Amino acid sequence: IRDIFSLTFFPLSLQAKMSRPVQARRLEGTDKNIWVEFVKLAVTYSKVNLGQGFPDFPPPDFLKESLEKALSGGNHMLHQYTRAFGHPPLVKILAQFFGKLLGQDLDPMTNVMVTVGAYQALFCCFQAFVDEGDEVIIIEPFFDCYEPMVKMAGGTPVFVPLRPKPPKGSKLMSSADWQLDPAELASKFSERTKAIVLNSPNNPLGKVFSRGELELIADLCVKHDVLCISDEVYEWLVYDGKEHIRIASLPGMWDRTVMVGSAGKTFSATGWKVGWTVGPNRLLQHIRTVHQNSVYHCATVAQEAVAQGFQREFKLYGKPDSYFVQLPKMLQQKRDRLVQSLDAVGMKPIIPEGTYFLVADISQFKSDVPDVPDSDEPYDSRFAKWMVKNKGLAAIPLSAFYSEAHKNNHDHFIRFCFAKEEATLKAADDILQKWKREKSSP
Amino acid sequence: MLFASRSFCCLGIRTYQLQTDLLCRSIRLSASATMAFRHKNARRIEGLDSNIWVEFTKVAADSSIVNLGQGLPDISPPSYVKEELAKAAAVDRLNQYTRGFGHPSLVKALSQVYERVCGRKIDPLTDILVTVGAYGSLFSTMQALIEEGDEVIIIEPFYDCYEPMVKMVGAKPVFIPLRYKGNGNSASSADWVLDAAELENKFNSKTKAIIVNTPHNPIGKVFTREELQVIADLCIKHDTLCISDEVYEWMVYKGKKHIKIATMPGMWERTITIGSAGKTYSVTGWKLGWCIGPQNLIKHLQVVHQNTLYTCPTPLQEALAQALWVDYKRMDDPDCYFYSLPRELESKRDRMALLLQEAGLNPIVPDGGYFMIVDVSTLDVDLSGIDEKQPYDYKFVKWMIRSKKLSAIPLSAFCGPETKKQFEKYIRFCFIKKDSTLDAAEAILKNWNKQAA
Repeated sequence: IRDIFSLTFFPLSLQAKMSRPVQARRLEGTDKNIWVEFVKLAVTYSKVNLGQGFPDFPPPDFLKESLEKALSGGNHMLHQYTRAFGHPPLVKILAQFFGKLLGQDLDPMTNVMVTVGAYQALFCCFQAFVDEGDEVIIIEPFFDCYEPMVKMAGGTPVFVPLRPKPPKGSKLMSSADWQLDPAELASKFSERTKAIVLNSPNNPLGKVFSRGELELIADLCVKHDVLCISDEVYEWLVYDGKEHIRIASLPGMWDRTVMVGSAGKTFSATGWKVGWTVGPNRLLQHIRTVHQNSVYHCATVAQEAVAQGFQREFKLYGKPDSYFVQLPKMLQQKRDRLVQSLDAVGMKPIIPEGTYFLVADISQFKSDVPDVPDSDEPYDSRFAKWMVKNKGLAAIPLSAFYSEAHKNNHDHFIRFCFAKEEATLKAADDILQKWKREKSSP
Repeated sequence: MLFASRSFCCLGIRTYQLQTDLLCRSIRLSASATMAFRHKNARRIEGLDSNIWVEFTKVAADSSIVNLGQGLPDISPPSYVKEELAKAAAVDRLNQYTRGFGHPSLVKALSQVYERVCGRKIDPLTDILVTVGAYGSLFSTMQALIEEGDEVIIIEPFYDCYEPMVKMVGAKPVFIPLRYKGNGNSASSADWVLDAAELENKFNSKTKAIIVNTPHNPIGKVFTREELQVIADLCIKHDTLCISDEVYEWMVYKGKKHIKIATMPGMWERTITIGSAGKTYSVTGWKLGWCIGPQNLIKHLQVVHQNTLYTCPTPLQEALAQALWVDYKRMDDPDCYFYSLPRELESKRDRMALLLQEAGLNPIVPDGGYFMIVDVSTLDVDLSGIDEKQPYDYKFVKWMIRSKKLSAIPLSAFCGPETKKQFEKYIRFCFIKKDSTLDAAEAILKNWNKQAA
């Protein structure tokens, strides 16, 4: 009888689905993700992958040794839960390290929290502070996750662009030439503004915000009493003697800034997914609440190894042997190599001041991938797809880093990752040279 | 500050910039001093800041205390599991990002193991999501499928995170207690049951989901097929989701069988089944879990995942995949870790029960899991010295830690507001501990009895 009942009155149970819309409204507008598509394309077609941002060289030996030591040592408790807000040796050294950099005493228990990558740190920030109706200012182009995270927290993203100022003469553009318009930025702040997301060094452009630019942002944060979520994952990757300035060190900013960092980027180990937040306790307490109700603990053994990595770097800080000195030196050379390769073939690279990304203008290549009028897809996306399928070279369209409304504002740039072995960059160069020859031969 | 700026006035226009800078800075400094950041925390986390573990895990750091509180093994994980991690970490590309929804070799291994267990095809790419512990799977499920206006049924006592996770998504937790139906003698977790009529009353048109935890933490109950059928019938009748937390699925003792509610008719399409590497392989510090279900539900969990942490650590996932292959190949063999671990734990369970009985207590012997609860009010300990405002079991545990150097977890932490009184006589012991830890517990419990006499 029960079965008849369910058949008659609940015929929908015959379908292999629940009858009512099942997903929560907070997911609206957050399901699309550029990486799902482009990673698939790279896996399928690419011979040389300069797309997704991860090194194809290994983490430094000392880091691998730290992990090895941790695993081969007798302490099997490293395979069990550690302190939820961060493994004690790791939060201690992070507090020491960033305390030194910021010039203040940091409490490892309350001013530092470890997360599953910087990604989860960002998630905790938005969940902790953004309510429905709150506005969050995002500077374009932006690391794509900021927008869906703000939306998932019920917030409204408010975008403000970096605008390129063309360089004088035929010099190549620098990421420094992309700037905020102060009046435009000021106009984005309202009484609903809860936070601004700052990413310096910036992914995808590689811009390293100058002190003046940071002061501009800081002044507005203080004036409007706004939080600053400062994504500094590429803090060590700065070139040409530039300085990475931490906005939290500017007057009035420590109390309203959460700094986000990443072991993956710091130690070239993106697969370890260890990140952190640093900030005042009155902000971190709420981030801890989100964390304890979402993932709670982070994996122990990776934290142990990262702690040792930082201990080594603390001792070697500023010295030539420091990984934080050697890594940017190594990457600067790779940057210059890729810049040369791209320039030689007619793509116009924007020289990045930091990160391991660079963006290049592909307007000269319109002949290979003609414009399609009325196309829904931005030109650079079509170009990048064509390039990986036909040339085997993977890169990411710059439009991926813009809001829906602004995707076509700069649709003739693509982003390359140059944290790659010499052999990879040489192979990229070969593809580009061959392509150039094909273009110039009749 | 203003005084300083005025004195620069005389120095002419060149100092104007410096003066403005000083003014700006003075405004900023005084702003930070007097204007408290007017924004407070988002509403979703209001009232969710306290957490039992923050208090009780501090105990774990004190090595003078015999820690039978937090559920973490102090036994070693199997050596092949540790070796696989060392092997994986030595491969360069395994130190970089892997597939967001789950490392390919891991989701493949999971699909094979669970196809065998469930007797149905499971697509590794669409039916599985790998998360940061089972905790992450619970969170992804709630965020993906539950929202304001929804009700979620939670069976008490419950793993404490269910309630704040339900609240964080704006939904209302609806509690229903397990009730003791035994005869007062040697008690078993099987004596704790749901009242079917009471359960039926908890379902209404707003009920979005019910959370089922079997084997159950903290009681150790292994829900029978009949008990799960009652729940399944209600889920189907009310078109409700079932969130099935099965992290202790392999820890089932002699004579009992773990039943997966998702395998019951009409349930696959509405059930998210959650598992844990930490519990399966005694590696709680790896923080890897997974959820398995139909594509049309899992796809929403994947969206949450891509917007929360995107990928889980690679070397850990690879190591777990290899360990699963080892055991998948011997699933017909009693040496398979899925079966050898519960055998090992059963003798620890029996020992723990005996120790508590010898101390004059009447423990609830669990059919599964690695926890045991016991009513301590019969000891009639004088707790007048401890802070009045806390429930009985909190006071008891604090007293026990202080004076007996033995820790456990108070059961009222696992109850909704209405039921705390019912369960505050009970405390929970964890017995996935090495022999020396249980020896130390034995010494304390034997001594205790002597003092009481």
